[in-house]
Amino acid sequence: MRKFLIGSTAMALLAMSSATSALACDPDYTGVTLSATTQTGPYIASALQLAAKGWEQKTCGKVNVVEFPWSELYPKIVTTLTSGEDTFDVIAFAPAWAPDFTDYLSEMPKAMQSGPDWEDIAPVYRESLMVWNGKVLSQTMDGDVHTYTYRIDLFENPDNQKAFKEKYGYDLAPAKTWKQYLDIAEFFQQPDKGIWGTAEAFRRGGQQFWFFFSHAAGYTNHPDHKGSMFFDPDTMDAQINNPGWVRGLEEYIRSSKLAPPNALNFSFGEVNAAFAGGQAAESIGWGDTGVIAADPKQSKVSGNVGSAMLPGSDEIWNYKTKKWDKFDHVVESPFMAFGGWQAAVPASSTKQEAAWDYIKYLTSPEVSGQAAITGGTGVNPYRISHTTNLDLWSKLFSQREAKEYLGAQKDSVTAKNVALDMRLPGYFSYTEILEIELSKALAGESTPQQALDSVAEQWNKLTDEFGRDKQLAAYRASMGLPQK
Amino acid sequence: MTRNDPIKHVFIWPALLIVLVISIFPLIYSLTTSFMSLRLVPPIPPRFVGFGNYIELLQNPRFWHVARTTSIIAFIAVALQYIIGFAIALALNARVPGEGIFRVGFLLPMLVAPVAVALIARQILNPTMGPLNELMALFGFPNLPFLTQTKWAIGAIISVEVWQWTPFVILMLLAGLQTLPDDVYEAAALENASPWQQFWGITFPMMLPISVAVVFIRLIESYKIIDTVFVMTGGGPGISTETLTLFAYQEGFKKFNLGYTSALSFLFLIVITIIGLVYLAILKPYLEKHK
Repeated sequence: MRKFLIGSTAMALLAMSSATSALACDPDYTGVTLSATTQTGPYIASALQLAAKGWEQKTCGKVNVVEFPWSELYPKIVTTLTSGEDTFDVIAFAPAWAPDFTDYLSEMPKAMQSGPDWEDIAPVYRESLMVWNGKVLSQTMDGDVHTYTYRIDLFENPDNQKAFKEKYGYDLAPAKTWKQYLDIAEFFQQPDKGIWGTAEAFRRGGQQFWFFFSHAAGYTNHPDHKGSMFFDPDTMDAQINNPGWVRGLEEYIRSSKLAPPNALNFSFGEVNAAFAGGQAAESIGWGDTGVIAADPKQSKVSGNVGSAMLPGSDEIWNYKTKKWDKFDHVVESPFMAFGGWQAAVPASSTKQEAAWDYIKYLTSPEVSGQAAITGGTGVNPYRISHTTNLDLWSKLFSQREAKEYLGAQKDSVTAKNVALDMRLPGYFSYTEILEIELSKALAGESTPQQALDSVAEQWNKLTDEFGRDKQLAAYRASMGLPQK
Repeated sequence: MTRNDPIKHVFIWPALLIVLVISIFPLIYSLTTSFMSLRLVPPIPPRFVGFGNYIELLQNPRFWHVARTTSIIAFIAVALQYIIGFAIALALNARVPGEGIFRVGFLLPMLVAPVAVALIARQILNPTMGPLNELMALFGFPNLPFLTQTKWAIGAIISVEVWQWTPFVILMLLAGLQTLPDDVYEAAALENASPWQQFWGITFPMMLPISVAVVFIRLIESYKIIDTVFVMTGGGPGISTETLTLFAYQEGFKKFNLGYTSALSFLFLIVITIIGLVYLAILKPYLEKHK
């Protein structure tokens, strides 16, 4: 009897221990070590690392996050992919590189492409940025859209409201159009009080061109001609010198005159510092501006940070008819600047199942929601749940700030006429040309038309050099258009 | 061991191979690449283009603009470093009280990383929040465009270069000054030579060899300037403050245009070599004269 008791107790303990083990490892990836690569942290790399800890506890697997400096990340990934080596199981990369990677990526498991977590991803990511020629080849792990930020205290000051209405004939409120944006900037341009109209990035090499794209999107992202903003989607001829782009550049230059005196040297970091330092009445940029400005430790304007979608326009250039099309309402074209980091699994990985499971965990509503409110991860909202969970954001914002911030993010990524960033092989060769000419135009060394004519000429030359048909195919795929 | 002892190969060949692998091979590889059309982004199969990259570069106005900007920065900065450095070295050589503190104080900028120096400069030159703005505002010149207008920006970069690297010139020239023999000065004093005459008749000629070396080193280093420019202006506005190395960086790490970048690197090497040879050729008669 004693032997039986000991034996049955031992069996029960064994059964319990195996049950505990099964509970601890769900799914069980014991002995599986994944190698994930991205840029040197903290941005994005820390999000991968934070998720790695949780995934390791959940599955008993292991993740090594391998970081490379930004300049080495692309060559490292592209060399690995093209040689077919099984070096990385997960790659986290800039969306602009997607055209060069897609041939070597595995498709997301169908099970991940349905259910509430899938539907929770904002449509622009789920239907456009994660898809290449009809296949879901990557998972967005960071949201990137430009929004509008303004000072609530300045905008709601009765004296300002009265003076603004007298001067411009309409109510002072968050700008709905780019014209209003410039009017407001002009109105608040008060250097003697240490306040300037706006703050944007104008520095060459300082994310400058994305801010210009945001201006231009309002005039060039035609709702009836999808994918025609940057290039003619039939011929791949550059569109960047059409009248819509020229107007965008004229207004971008005008903004630089309504910004602090050193704004031509502003990167996005300085934009945030200027807004949080109370120097600017309004600003455009990524979601980081709102988060930094709302933080009392970093900001002089916390509690007064309002957010909205980017301004739009009721006139958009039609590249087909070569005329301005008038609309009876303001068409909002929020710009998906950069487009958000993507995570993918190379087809050469021998641990694809585990790798996709790690990505699923990394981008789950809970884990990514925490990353989005954790400073230094570089993760901005990309799920609907990121923008609806007010409690999550109440740690950072006041109730009103959170409501406006999340509303702006949600409205932007779900907007009907959202403008996609270009994703082309050689993306940074195109933008390098643009940056130089933009910089000259901002410094007054060339007119907007001259600058953009020069960009168009050089872009067309570059397209020919890279192969027009190949570039056209990539451009159409990136804009979600069917291949010709 | 005799001259023909085969054991010599055991000692010579490993050393030779190491030199070849570490030093010569990368240069040969880079030279070969400069004759190829080789892009990493988008990946295009390598193609032999002969001198195509070199011709394209020499026909590119940006290359000449960048070479001119680099030369302006290098020559003006080094000239100022030499003049200021020599003056301070002379003062320190006079063994004034507290000379040790001055010496350490003057050498500090050289010990700071150029990126950190550039960041500090950017903050000082901030036209709205920087201390220099506050000072200039007192004189009625607020919000000067230190880093956003070409002439100001080049002036700012030169100033930072001078501030950071004058200590190197001081260090070298001070070492030289301390080796000059006292008896020559005593003889000059007996002849009632003024300090001015002593400087031009004794100090400057005797310091000429070391001066030539110091200026040569600084000139080559200044031509390689990238970090200060990258942080302070990013090469802007336009390409007005872009230097040769920054141009190579943009081509190499933004466009991943490796063939073109290799050709640019070798043209850079040729430019530096020509400048060095011309510089030494001009000074050779003076050096011979004061040998």
